[in-house]
Amino acid sequence: MEPDVILSMRGIEIQFPGVKALDKVDFTLRRGEVHALLGENGAGKSTLIKCLTGVHHMDAGEILLDGAEIRPTTPQHAMEMGISTVFQEINLCPNLTVAENIFVGRQPMRYGQINWKEINRRASELLERFSIQIDVTRPLSYYSTAIQQMVSIARAVDVRAKLLILDEPTSSLDDNEVKRLFKVMRDLRAQGLGIIFITHFLDQVFKISDRITVLRNGRMIGEFDVRQISKLDLVSRMIGKDMNEIFNLKRAEQKRGASVAMSAEHIGIPGKVEDNSFEIKEGELLGFAGLLGSGRTETAEILFGVTKPAHGTVKVKGETVRFNAPLDAINRKLAFCPEDRKKDGVIADLTIRENIALAVQAKRGYLKPLSRKEMDSLADKYIKLLSIATPDADKRVGELSGGNQQKVILARWMATEPDILILDEPTRGIDVGAKAEIQRLMLEMCGGGMAVIFISSELDEIIRCSNRILIMRDGVKAGELPGENCTQPDIMRIIAGEAVESA
Amino acid sequence: MLNAQRRRRSPLSSLANPKYIMVYATIGIFLLIYLAGAAAYGSKGFRSVRTFMLMFIDNAYIGISAVGMTMVLITGGIDLSVGAVASLTGMIIAYGNSVLGVHPLMCIAIALVVGVGLGLTMGAMIQYLNVPPFIATLAGMFLARGVTSLISRESISISNSMIDAWAGWKKYFVKLQDGEWVKIKPVAYINLNVVLFLVMIVLGALILQRTRFGRNVYAIGGSEQSAKLMGLPVARTKILVYGFNGLCSVLAGLAYALYVKSGWNLALQGAELDVISAAVIGGVLLTGGAGYMIGTLFGVMLKATIPALITFNGSLSSWWGKIATGALLLIFIGLQRIVVVSTERRSKQGGK
Repeated sequence: MEPDVILSMRGIEIQFPGVKALDKVDFTLRRGEVHALLGENGAGKSTLIKCLTGVHHMDAGEILLDGAEIRPTTPQHAMEMGISTVFQEINLCPNLTVAENIFVGRQPMRYGQINWKEINRRASELLERFSIQIDVTRPLSYYSTAIQQMVSIARAVDVRAKLLILDEPTSSLDDNEVKRLFKVMRDLRAQGLGIIFITHFLDQVFKISDRITVLRNGRMIGEFDVRQISKLDLVSRMIGKDMNEIFNLKRAEQKRGASVAMSAEHIGIPGKVEDNSFEIKEGELLGFAGLLGSGRTETAEILFGVTKPAHGTVKVKGETVRFNAPLDAINRKLAFCPEDRKKDGVIADLTIRENIALAVQAKRGYLKPLSRKEMDSLADKYIKLLSIATPDADKRVGELSGGNQQKVILARWMATEPDILILDEPTRGIDVGAKAEIQRLMLEMCGGGMAVIFISSELDEIIRCSNRILIMRDGVKAGELPGENCTQPDIMRIIAGEAVESA
Repeated sequence: MLNAQRRRRSPLSSLANPKYIMVYATIGIFLLIYLAGAAAYGSKGFRSVRTFMLMFIDNAYIGISAVGMTMVLITGGIDLSVGAVASLTGMIIAYGNSVLGVHPLMCIAIALVVGVGLGLTMGAMIQYLNVPPFIATLAGMFLARGVTSLISRESISISNSMIDAWAGWKKYFVKLQDGEWVKIKPVAYINLNVVLFLVMIVLGALILQRTRFGRNVYAIGGSEQSAKLMGLPVARTKILVYGFNGLCSVLAGLAYALYVKSGWNLALQGAELDVISAAVIGGVLLTGGAGYMIGTLFGVMLKATIPALITFNGSLSSWWGKIATGALLLIFIGLQRIVVVSTERRSKQGGK
């Protein structure tokens, strides 16, 4: 074996009831490298990591750590052997101080008592190495997510880790914070640590990783040197289809003389949205671009009756409407998929069938319950139509992957057969394949005459799908561009416009 | 930026740490009410050391139990069995000694085995069978109360030379007068129960602040899931916490037995709620993860001050005590929410 290999997993197989979660997967991690583990949701990334950290137990295969065979039984056991994991959700205690979070369970003792001075001193030093200078005696909840993330990495590294697993560490960080995390990762790599990096962001993979292992459907597709593979090639391997075929989406064709489906005139809420006016035609896809907090979501919420505008009017098919509640909007054939699908969208404990039927039921009123038969046919229809990956409609939505959850929400609203559909960040946090599918569905619906408002932070998908793009900045409509022949810099210039001037 | 929150640590700023807010609130309100009482009824003797010490003596058993309860609440649990276990302890001592003639030390040992055993059992049920603490300890409460009634349904008085000696042990407050130590007037003293209460508070504080076990208690209350993933011994800690609370219940029962010198199956009904409210008024978060023994000490004192005030007033119905306790609880639970919500909001804004 090569001398610089820390971890080598050979022929790992894990059988779950009904599925082979991992099928002869190999994985090798070298000293001082960042190794990206990629694959769509459900490809087996988490299963592989859980096998390594002792959460799942393998049915076949072997794991060698520093050349010696190991069989981790629990996360604690794995940790003791030098395998540390930092999960997407911060697994620290918000009520304990920063310092204590790093040392809890292994506090330095003195005269049989915890040595608090030592804890605080060592925590400060440790974080200083990550160029973070904070008061470590404050509760963890006092600090931002980014700092909490760093603290959990500090803890993971300080337990004498040989290898560090970072599971989606960047999903809640902004650009600057990601840069800082990468700096820390590079430092750790230079110290000879092996890092397994799991992420959805391909740009980040190319920025930080040395090698990449791709999984698909529980199988290992290959191991690549990051300098020898292109992004497009990588994505094709992840989804097992040719990229061009997937992204060969056609913008919905703009019908001439289509009537206006909805219009807003000078709507606004002080401090959130100022004097926003626009219209959207039937069969048109209107993209909302802009930074987070620029008023995109707030505008959508006004349109759907979640919040009432302080001034201005909303018209549906030329008729002025005043929505007091979302139900009024639903009755005018509007639909709205909110941004945070975990919080505002799916009800994780209900089945797919129940989730899909929700909006239809709300529209009919609770005195006229849907029969089981109607619910079944509704669910079956949309599971097929949107190709939701599930054995049956009885599965709890919480057990589905992010992309499939998003499809369930989409199905819920499509089932109400709306004329106007508002989608707020429908593709966030889901993998490339599912993203493309959601986009395809959106365009199909436009083709069917539906008016779609599409809110997204990812400019490339906005440009790819929209007929027109409305750009917001600080609650104000900053500009409008046609979707065709529009480039990312065009939009960015408008988003940045005032910021540049005032700087 | 990440460095924006940097502050130099000084002894003063560490006292200003937001995690102590609830303790300060308790101490502040206690001082406010005590000083108000002192101003209003000072001439009647409310300010005297005697009155102050009597508040300790009359509430020591609640305080002893509150030490264990504080720990349970910090893990995010609750224990409704404490009153019943304390009552059972009194009954074991009274029946064992007065009826069966067993030596009181033996009775206490039996009570300890029963109380701690029940605590550990409830802890194990909560941990391994995933029974909500409310339900598991409710069952424990009925069980202990039932066994007490099974032993006897009458009040049995305790008359034993050792118990009498313990109950009668007093340490008087003295002052130096003309080169001689004389008792202060009005006479003030502490008894064994007060000593036990203060010892337990100190012991509890040391366990919580200076041992890994104690810190694990806080970690579990903050996030049990995280505590597990950080490799902390969650199961052992939780079970031991209920065991320790069983110990505190037995000691509270012993203190109560010394206080009333009898055992009765209907004694201490509803005492668990007094204990819980004392801890909550002392700043222990019902959702877990926060609280200090010093806060609980002041919580017990604050709860003791109110009946004292009513007694000194003389014309108020004693039910005003309950009303005042209810009002205090509401204030403190409201305060806790505000603190929790404002820290959540701050950490959210910090992210931007």
